[in-house]
Amino acid sequence: MKRILFVVLALSLSFSAQARGNAESGKAKAAQVCAACHGPDGNKPSAPDQPVLAGQYYDYLVRALSDYKAGHRNNPIMKGFAAQLSKQDIEDLAAWFSSQKSSLHDQR
Amino acid sequence: MLRLLPAAVLALAAPLALAQQKGDPDAAHRNKIAMCIGCHGIPGYKTAFPSVYHVPKIAGQQPGYIVNALKAYKAGERSHPSMRGIAASLSDQDMADLAAYYGVPAK
Repeated sequence: MKRILFVVLALSLSFSAQARGNAESGKAKAAQVCAACHGPDGNKPSAPDQPVLAGQYYDYLVRALSDYKAGHRNNPIMKGFAAQLSKQDIEDLAAWFSSQKSSLHDQR
Repeated sequence: MLRLLPAAVLALAAPLALAQQKGDPDAAHRNKIAMCIGCHGIPGYKTAFPSVYHVPKIAGQQPGYIVNALKAYKAGERSHPSMRGIAASLSDQDMADLAAYYGVPAK
């Protein structure tokens, strides 16, 4: 009984940690829209004031794109791009960028 | 002609250097990161309000972007309540110092 409980718990944890978007679809969308400024994998910003997206948390990327789209973040460039994205696009892009390697990390 | 080259490069580069305030990572480490580490220093930490998601990784981010983000919070161009409160208390020099501490220019 205990073992079954453990398996159920482990499964539910792994599901909740998993990104909901599809990284492969995100990769294709990123190549069309995001890559010019952020790099194909989100790791090569073309200007010093643009963020690295690779390796960032999935749910934060979803949040940031949704905020640009909704006008809760007011950046003229990103607002224009985010406005064209569906919820599915946003989740796919977040799944792609968050699964790429980068120097981003948590640090005191 | 070759001797003139360094001077020409300097003359061209000077306005660029002035545009970006120079940050001091040690000053940030001494007395400015205390307000950041409670959320950004804990791997996997999540926001509690107004909605729940991971706070972003800021270490290793581009310094110029860190400054821009903080300025946007301060100016009210980004809406997160905690970050607006914190950024409002930061001077331009504070922002430059924090960016120099956490940031790494991307190659």
